[in-house]
Amino acid sequence: MKNKITLQTRREFLRRTVLGSALSWTVPAFLADTFSALQTQAADSATQIATGKDASILVVLQMAGGNDGINTVVPYANDFYHKARPKIGQKAEEILRVTDEIGLHGAMKGFKALNDAGQLSIIQGVGYPNPNRSHFRSTEIWQTASDSNRVEKNGWLGRYFDNACSGADPTVGVAIGNQLPQAFFAAKPKGIVFNNPDNYRFRANGETTEASYKKLNELEMSSPLPDENSGGSIAMLPAGMPMTAGRAVDFISRTALDAQHSSDEVRNIAARVRNQATYPASQLGNELKLVAKLIGGGLPTRVYYASQGGYDTHTNQLATQQRLLGDLAESVKAFTEDLKAQGNMGRVLVMTFSEFGRRVAENANGGTDHGAAAPMFVIGEKVKAGLLGQYPSLAPGDLFQGDVKFNVDFRSVYAGVLENWLRTPSAPILGRTFTPLNVV
Amino acid sequence: MLKPLASDSWNYTKAAHLLNRAGFGGVPAEIQKLADWGLEKSVSWLVDFEKIPDPTPNPDWAHPEPDEVKKYREAIRTGSAEEKKKAQQEQRQLYQRRMLELRGWWLQRMVAGPRPLQEKMVVFWHGHFATSVEKVRNPYYMWRQNELFRRLAVGNWQQLLIDAGQDPAMLVWLDQAQSRKDHPNENFAREVMELFSLGEGHYTEKDITEAARALTGWSLNPQTESYVYRPRIHDAGDKTIFGRKGDFNGDDFIAMIVAQPQAARFITAKIWNFFAGQEPSEALSQALAAVFRSHGNNFKPLLRTMFQSEEFYGDDIIRNQVKSPVQWLVSSVRMLETELPPPIVSWAMLRQLGQELFAPPNVKGWDGGVTWISTNTLLTRYNDAQTLVEGSLPPMRTGDFARKAGGGGGQKAMKMMQRARLGRVEVEKILTRDERDNKDQIVAALEKRLFQTDLDTQKEQTLRDFLDSKKHMSDEDILTAIRLMMSTPDYQVT
Repeated sequence: MKNKITLQTRREFLRRTVLGSALSWTVPAFLADTFSALQTQAADSATQIATGKDASILVVLQMAGGNDGINTVVPYANDFYHKARPKIGQKAEEILRVTDEIGLHGAMKGFKALNDAGQLSIIQGVGYPNPNRSHFRSTEIWQTASDSNRVEKNGWLGRYFDNACSGADPTVGVAIGNQLPQAFFAAKPKGIVFNNPDNYRFRANGETTEASYKKLNELEMSSPLPDENSGGSIAMLPAGMPMTAGRAVDFISRTALDAQHSSDEVRNIAARVRNQATYPASQLGNELKLVAKLIGGGLPTRVYYASQGGYDTHTNQLATQQRLLGDLAESVKAFTEDLKAQGNMGRVLVMTFSEFGRRVAENANGGTDHGAAAPMFVIGEKVKAGLLGQYPSLAPGDLFQGDVKFNVDFRSVYAGVLENWLRTPSAPILGRTFTPLNVV
Repeated sequence: MLKPLASDSWNYTKAAHLLNRAGFGGVPAEIQKLADWGLEKSVSWLVDFEKIPDPTPNPDWAHPEPDEVKKYREAIRTGSAEEKKKAQQEQRQLYQRRMLELRGWWLQRMVAGPRPLQEKMVVFWHGHFATSVEKVRNPYYMWRQNELFRRLAVGNWQQLLIDAGQDPAMLVWLDQAQSRKDHPNENFAREVMELFSLGEGHYTEKDITEAARALTGWSLNPQTESYVYRPRIHDAGDKTIFGRKGDFNGDDFIAMIVAQPQAARFITAKIWNFFAGQEPSEALSQALAAVFRSHGNNFKPLLRTMFQSEEFYGDDIIRNQVKSPVQWLVSSVRMLETELPPPIVSWAMLRQLGQELFAPPNVKGWDGGVTWISTNTLLTRYNDAQTLVEGSLPPMRTGDFARKAGGGGGQKAMKMMQRARLGRVEVEKILTRDERDNKDQIVAALEKRLFQTDLDTQKEQTLRDFLDSKKHMSDEDILTAIRLMMSTPDYQVT
């Protein structure tokens, strides 16, 4: 470990001053982790500390743009389907059959293989009451798990971190991308985000600069420690740096340490771990490659977040969706093979979502417009394989403004994942009780 | 509460604080000017800004374009699939260019405009009314709303609420344009109370449905790209709002909101939070609302009182606010006497730092405060400091730009970034020759410029050690020292 001496000193400092008193959230998270790991053995704590070796992991995969669920999980034997989609309807012989009525889009061979191996769960007709057809707003609803007429600030995964992961390493949530997804927004911000491990670092023009940056961003411990009996809090650090509760700079100092710590770790793992499967050369393929490395490298992460864009297929849907679904299926398939080779497949669950499905009837441009309910996929060794929920009726009389009606609330899926996979009560996270859909 | 600050306690530190919070900071000479002027004159210079001429020209496309609108609609309605696609693509590209220009135009006003408080208030109102081009999809509407915030920056609350409600961008953003007598849309009716003026718990669901009826008729004419009142879709019947019954219209409803004591408490507390960096105490909140109401719900007298109050200069206030990304960028450019990076670069920076102008994350706007800071945004700030100071661009990938729903445009943005020419800090502007020759003075002068206060002794020593490690201290080394000072937790607060 780098900065060995400093870290040792810090631990010593924590033992001498903080042990026994309440953990302040201005304590650097990775130190708090060490500290609360000691405590969890004795205390009756709900905190979930991931060790990096055995904890269950959730990978959330966003299909951005509103994927056409009807051409993804296809009711190929349904007359209403073919009538509504004379141009873009999938032909029965191209469908990868799951049952005599329902099958997967022909490009999803990777998912078909997972299905045959009993590792794919297809949840049909997932949505929420009063669906919103704006990308922006509906994404927000899925990310925050709010009702459609309520605006929530924090994300459902952020509330999971708040409720179940206090004191965990900042890498408890890792989003691959440019910005933290709203799903991660939390009362006590947690989770790191980067799209390129090489850039997730302090860019230095020389070793002296790098060393100076590290020094400027440490809580220096080299001065004599404060007397244990002088209040016993972290409120007074040496070197004139006041740590009084709530001072903005204290929070930033803590984050600076977390950044320094996690950026080294992420880059070390990315450089050290080798992928053991061949992925498509796509953005999603690259993102999942990176996630597999981080899992293999033992990052203590409970939730990873990756995404794939381009599903807003108002025009010429056939070619676009063919490419995207093929990429999705192949990337996820490769990801599962990689994890299997690592011996980690048993502890990883992948869940896909899209902000909405699309209109039942095709439009005049060989595409589909914004719709409502759509299927979700859950992948893992322990999933309830096959079809879950009901395929929504496509009969014109059963549609609402041209869209299928949902019959599984997405928050029931979240509840199932939280309760049965992440093993934490879902009601405090989702705001109220949703009957968990037992996907695992 | 709201005791006037004793004029003999006015000093350089307080002048710096005022300029940082009511504006976008400044160089030592500007701060010294305010320190010499005294409190009253300094505050008056900020709040009575209408006396200062502002010759900034508008973007040349900042007007309605009925002919263009007509041409586009024609192509969409009657054109072949090919023509339709072409028209859409051309419009998208044009709008992307204009948005980039608009963002650069506004940032430049913040950096160099003659009325810092006015621009600061425009930033506040933009965050408050939180309208995003992602849904509005019209650069002219976004510019127009921005101008509205400038025009009424320190104006009257009722006027601002009405004008903001009738503003084209808002009419699209909260769907008021789609609301009609037989189908009232409740979106604006709800948010104007919940997010803009009263806060949750100060109205009923029934108030929302009734207010939505009162607001019908406020509409948008997409041909002329302007507000229009349509009496035929207005519901002229009786409504009951806040327990009062009458045939209210939209203006009546807004007037009834502003008449609620809660309306003054809500907005003054939010303004205090924006400028002071924390929630006001209950007593302070009441005092702020009282000042506001006694001055006819006008913002200028409120701001004057706030900036002259002892509370605004408390130890818990000064240097205890996280700089927003916009504040970070604009004040850095000002303090370093350099220039704004080209629009594509400053757009990418602010986007990565979490404050893409004209695209707040949701109807609640930016949360601000410590939520600006994550491990990623902090490292990005540290690296962007290098970009600003040394004029070097970080390595980027197309994926950095192609992440929005629908994607696209990544390659092009990359190319624009690579072509962008960046300025770099000129050491002779920052340090006098005497200062340049003495390492202690270098550190002291840079501290005064960048923090307006001293760093702790260990950090000073670290910087001193860094300079000592350089045998022939070149300009590059001094630039690196500046960048290092910006790569500290301390630089992220103001």
